[in-house]
Amino acid sequence: MIVCNNISKEYKHGSARKRVLSNVNLTVNPGERVALLGRNGAGKSTLIKLIAGVEMPTSGKVTRKMSVSWPLGLGGGFQGSLTGYDNARFIARIYQRDYSQIKDFVEDFSELGRQLRMPVKTYSSGMRARLAFALSLAIEFDCYLIDEVILVGDQDFQRKCRHELFEKRTDRAMVLASHSTELVRELCDRAVIIHKSEAQIYSDIEQAVDIYSQL
Amino acid sequence: MARSHLRKLREGWAVQLRVTHALMIRELTTRFGRENIGFLWIMVEPLLFAGLVALLWRLTKGPEEHGVSIIAFVVTGYIPITLFRHGVARSVAVFTVNSSLLYHRQVKILDFIIVRFVIEIIGGMMAYAFIATILIIVGEMPLPDNMGLLIAGWFLYAFFSFSLCLIIAPLSEMSEILEKFVPVTTYVMIPFSGLFYMVSWLTPKAREFILFSPFVNAMEMMRKGVWGDQLTAYYSIWNPLGFSVVLTAIGLGLCRHVRRKLAVE
Repeated sequence: MIVCNNISKEYKHGSARKRVLSNVNLTVNPGERVALLGRNGAGKSTLIKLIAGVEMPTSGKVTRKMSVSWPLGLGGGFQGSLTGYDNARFIARIYQRDYSQIKDFVEDFSELGRQLRMPVKTYSSGMRARLAFALSLAIEFDCYLIDEVILVGDQDFQRKCRHELFEKRTDRAMVLASHSTELVRELCDRAVIIHKSEAQIYSDIEQAVDIYSQL
Repeated sequence: MARSHLRKLREGWAVQLRVTHALMIRELTTRFGRENIGFLWIMVEPLLFAGLVALLWRLTKGPEEHGVSIIAFVVTGYIPITLFRHGVARSVAVFTVNSSLLYHRQVKILDFIIVRFVIEIIGGMMAYAFIATILIIVGEMPLPDNMGLLIAGWFLYAFFSFSLCLIIAPLSEMSEILEKFVPVTTYVMIPFSGLFYMVSWLTPKAREFILFSPFVNAMEMMRKGVWGDQLTAYYSIWNPLGFSVVLTAIGLGLCRHVRRKLAVE
């Protein structure tokens, strides 16, 4: 279970302040799939970062009682100057997993072949997404945090991701930030709409999608 | 209850070791690569620095001063100060530079400072041991008279430098102006680092003043450890120890404060 208790987040730069989230309460239960909806800049990614513990809330508290992945997105989580293999090694070390298993999975899932021996900064965004997905699926988590990335990459890769995430791992919890109402309808149990720094929770997905479309 | 606390502590320690290990390898590969001598580069820089400066002094000032070899004297002073200067320089903006690693919850911002500093220490100590061995073989330097004192001096010098890093790192995130002042400050610090003199060579008035510097106290210990009765040393272990403990406490507080506001891309 993940509990966000009354969390707020404010960014300050010089004298400028921006309140991105105010008093958000959200509980994610094991096996539950929660969609985050909102316009660009509404605070979806921020909420995901707070849940992941990448950033700290200005006030309020996030409690995690299951293992939570790092935010799966385009950037973050790896080091551009290192090769794909080095990044895999790093992940294996800090999550205390067997490197050879992770290596096999990454090779198989990402289909990057010899590119894995090149620094990640030479990868295209699609290739990065492949590596990012491969690395985070190589480690089993109770809850996956996914930030838009699902729609990156070619058809074949998208199919693979869906299979790994939504078919093989049906028992896992997921928090999914997406603009794709189709995907949300198909996959999620609940939806959170973030608008003007407030979060509204809907257990009826259709209703949430309707409201979101009118924002 | 006590047992579960102990278990938590042990688990935490295991995570700490794992993360430090992984980060060190990552830092070494990004900085030095795997080509040619690889991570041995960490000792080349202090080695070159100390060696060339010592040579310069030897050529301008002659072979000895106050009865000790100039080369050995300068080298024993320069390598520790390289540790301090590099350590501090590497702490500037260290959180922002490494922020993508914060995607993994087990990695903490303190680890960034620790890892970079440990690498500097290893480099410095390797360079020190390497050059000292050569100087001892060619007879420019005696075998250390008191190894314990030498190591204790090193430890205090490093501890104080580390406590400064703990303060510089968060401050550099809070204000970008700081970054501009770091190089000049570390340069101005050189006369207060005990690099070029023993305290006993100074006037009593200057002595009193210069012994406020934690660097000088630690440096005197190191030099006394090497030359023993050939030199007179003035030091107190409590000065560097006290300064370091206080600065570490302040630094840890600042790090905690900065972490809450750190924006990660």
